[in-house]
Amino acid sequence: MKFTRLLLGIFTLLPLLALAAGCGGGGGGGGDSESPLVSITVTPANSTIAAGGTLQFSAVGTYANGKTADLTAAATWSSSVEAVASVNNAAGSKGAVTGVAAGSTAIIAMVGTVSGSANVTVTGAGAVSPNVMTITVNGSLCSDSSYLNKPCVSVTICNPGSTTCRTIPDILLDTGSYGLRIFKDTIPDLTLAQVPSGSGSLAECVQFADGSSLWGPVQVAGVKLGNEPVVEIPVQVVDASFGTRPNQCQNADLSRQSARFNGILGVGISTEDCGPICVSNPGIGLYYRCSGANCSGTAVALASQVQNPVPHLPPQDNNGIIVQLPAVPFDGVVSTSGSLIFGIGTRPNNTPASPTVFPTDEFGDFRTVYNGVNSTSFLDTGSNGLYFPNVPPELPTCPDPDSGWYCPPVTRELFATTVGAFGSPSATVPFYIGNLLNLANSPNNVFKEIGGTSTFGFDWGLPFFLGRQVFFGMEGKASSLGTGPYVAY
Amino acid sequence: MNLPNSTLLVLMGLLTFALAGSGPAHATLGEGSDSIAKDRKALSAVKRATTSHAKYSVQEVASDATVVREFLTPSGVVFAIAWKGLVPPDLTVLLGSYFDEYKEAKRQLPRKHGQRRSRVKGDRVVVETWGHMRNLQGRAYDPALVPTGVRIDEIH
Repeated sequence: MKFTRLLLGIFTLLPLLALAAGCGGGGGGGGDSESPLVSITVTPANSTIAAGGTLQFSAVGTYANGKTADLTAAATWSSSVEAVASVNNAAGSKGAVTGVAAGSTAIIAMVGTVSGSANVTVTGAGAVSPNVMTITVNGSLCSDSSYLNKPCVSVTICNPGSTTCRTIPDILLDTGSYGLRIFKDTIPDLTLAQVPSGSGSLAECVQFADGSSLWGPVQVAGVKLGNEPVVEIPVQVVDASFGTRPNQCQNADLSRQSARFNGILGVGISTEDCGPICVSNPGIGLYYRCSGANCSGTAVALASQVQNPVPHLPPQDNNGIIVQLPAVPFDGVVSTSGSLIFGIGTRPNNTPASPTVFPTDEFGDFRTVYNGVNSTSFLDTGSNGLYFPNVPPELPTCPDPDSGWYCPPVTRELFATTVGAFGSPSATVPFYIGNLLNLANSPNNVFKEIGGTSTFGFDWGLPFFLGRQVFFGMEGKASSLGTGPYVAY
Repeated sequence: MNLPNSTLLVLMGLLTFALAGSGPAHATLGEGSDSIAKDRKALSAVKRATTSHAKYSVQEVASDATVVREFLTPSGVVFAIAWKGLVPPDLTVLLGSYFDEYKEAKRQLPRKHGQRRSRVKGDRVVVETWGHMRNLQGRAYDPALVPTGVRIDEIH
């Protein structure tokens, strides 16, 4: 296998304006006839919204007697340039500003002859949206030691309750797991809050299906995804030197160099990485209570388990995700980039056309039928190829040591049928398998036509996502596509 | 059959450890079916079903975390174990005398990043895993113990 050599991206996040709409400060009352209104303050004073985005403004009046009052509902609102941003004057929605097109305008609130204004800048459509994160497949968000078809994001991690944050790139975007795991040495100057377990500290051993594992304490961090507000949730701080590793984590990754990522962002359909079983049973082998160096199995309340951040986002954005990546040609490209979008059917940028919705079981799994064989199946950005049983007519595999990969002499077009977990709907999916060794010998890193063998089922890895919008409905959350868990494309 | 009884003992141990999630167990791959019952009781696992096929029988037991199916030859020797659940079994115990061989074979395998599967093949034992968080599957078997006419695909 060849590994990509990519420039290590250096990231500078745009500082984000805190867009908290101001509330009328103290005072209250005020509007008595003896004390005339002398000024109106409109907040936020300077703000930026995307075309199509909406932001609530407030108006606070100050009277001659020094008292103040919230005049948001009483004021008449206007925008000096309606072509840039419009403002709602309907009862119940007063002061809601919607970006129309790139530019600047003043938002004005008037009561009688007194007025106040605030400036708003509207960025063009496709510019920074609150619910969008950039994904690069290989490319600038991935480290230079990345492997083929690796989708990377950057995540901002903050001390709890603090604005001290660090933005960490090279985080693997993984729809096949749940929760954020981050190597300790990527955040050396942050102090997260250890989750207690009795009188000890909570730690976790996560085993992955490739035989690797991650070990380390569970700590509360402020997690900021794109321009979403910070959510404070338990994350796993990956640290093989923490306490004493249990048997299950004897081979835990010792470094991000061996893991080939700084962390994993698990955004699949589940809220927790274990669920109710770990609440009642201390012997599962995932969670441990460490006192000094001694660690033993422990039960863990749901809220203390490592949490998928998506269900914790504001309601508008927490019912699901969309993974959106561009198509790539045969023979691949060096890198590509797309979007991770939060929320389904709640904003102009996350309202689906009409994808086919496949209900999944509690694990996010559905069925795939390939060459007449019906097996368990899942959609996984964390898998870098299409892995499926090599049932007759068999595909040629590569010579050892790459015999787990397919190596047909010419690229093959194949078909499989995806089926909802409960028998419907079903849809035919064309896909491609090329010669892994030939492709890996090129300068390219992102391929739609790489795949390998699987013993147990059909793993639709990253190639499936190229050229598609793929929806994941969070468990128990309603959306315009139904209530999760589901996948749709 | 060129394997000692200790081989079977190893598979049985694999089973019990999978169900316990912690602590050692005593049955291993290659052992007889009596130790399965003993360990199941010790582990509070529940026997769910026994199914008979022409060339082998399958006993299925379940704990909170994992369902384990043990594959027995007509003479009652465990020749394979398959599992599905929240966590994989701890192979340290379950593979018993096979474990060192498995560990060495795994150590020599190059790390394959970006995959959700593995296949480790030692001289006497094959261990395969697949899946994703909260739904991990796998199997371990000794090819020399698999009865003639049984396809490996039947072990799941």
